[in-house]
Amino acid sequence: MKEEFAGRMLRVHFGEDDKWQGKPLHEAILAKCRELEIAEAVVFRGIEGYGSASRVRHASLWRLSKDAPIQVTIIDTEEQIAKLTPLLDAMVEEGVVASSVVEVVRLRKG
Amino acid sequence: MLNAGKAVKVSIYLSDGATHHGVPVYSSLLDFLFYRGVAGATVFKGVAGFGADHHMHSASTVEISDKLPIKIEFIDTREKVDALLGKLEELAGTGLIETQEVTVAKPAQSTKPMSHKPPEHLKIEGKAQMMRIYVSEEDRWKDKPLHEALVAAMRANDIAGVTVYRGIQGYGAHRHEHKDKALHTGHHGSIMLSAIDTAEKLRGIVPLLEQMVAEGLVVFSDVDVVKYAYRPLDTDAAEPKAE
Repeated sequence: MKEEFAGRMLRVHFGEDDKWQGKPLHEAILAKCRELEIAEAVVFRGIEGYGSASRVRHASLWRLSKDAPIQVTIIDTEEQIAKLTPLLDAMVEEGVVASSVVEVVRLRKG
Repeated sequence: MLNAGKAVKVSIYLSDGATHHGVPVYSSLLDFLFYRGVAGATVFKGVAGFGADHHMHSASTVEISDKLPIKIEFIDTREKVDALLGKLEELAGTGLIETQEVTVAKPAQSTKPMSHKPPEHLKIEGKAQMMRIYVSEEDRWKDKPLHEALVAAMRANDIAGVTVYRGIQGYGAHRHEHKDKALHTGHHGSIMLSAIDTAEKLRGIVPLLEQMVAEGLVVFSDVDVVKYAYRPLDTDAAEPKAE
């Protein structure tokens, strides 16, 4: 079964050490997405990076540091994403939210 | 390229411990000089010294003292130095910068002559589309992991390029959460394939995706492409799309 719709994709960038109410921020964001029944949410860990949130660590002692860049990709309709945006504003203290218009094809069994 | 004759030598004095956005200042300065095409630069580590704060820093007290003096030196033309000075001042922070008129008696010669000029360097710019496919790592197509089969299928359909990413956590069409607990051993992750080509070519493989992807999300977005490519050496290699 194929379903096509115009949607919006958010890419939220921050650091792996970032927390929301004591929980890793990416887990908290995913939980929120689930609550709102957002169609798709995936967390990616970058191998290197810098920016407002992912600090490049300065010495080899820190190689094992867990503060890797994290990117959460979230895809759904404009309405669904609009519900999530204010929550993200509150949750992400330091980071970047990139938003883009996308065309979505959803494939499902049956 | 630096020739014999008049030039300017720049010396920057820093403290070893100084950092800029989390990286040592000398390392960001060196990167800056390297990527701005300075003829050459050297970082010296001092064994003892003092600076504006009149604190004596020496190696003898603590072997791994991170407050030792650091000096960066480079030589280039007056124009080049003038163009870089503004940013250097910003990067050097509290450090001191000194410039000195010098005469280059003999310029250094590159051991790898002209290695920076690769032949037939193509730059392709234009509008294209990016297609992202979200599936699960357990999904299979015939006897292969689905993402491998998709890469093969796209290759067979002359899609310019595709990259597979593994997410560390996610959920989607399957409605069960994927979480990569033990790194490198987890086989229950979210998978994203990202491909870039013209809208027609990507749209052209959607019917194929419909057959292969039982459950998943396919997302299209418009992108501007700037592609750097070397002309393929063997003639049967795919020609890059120039649209």
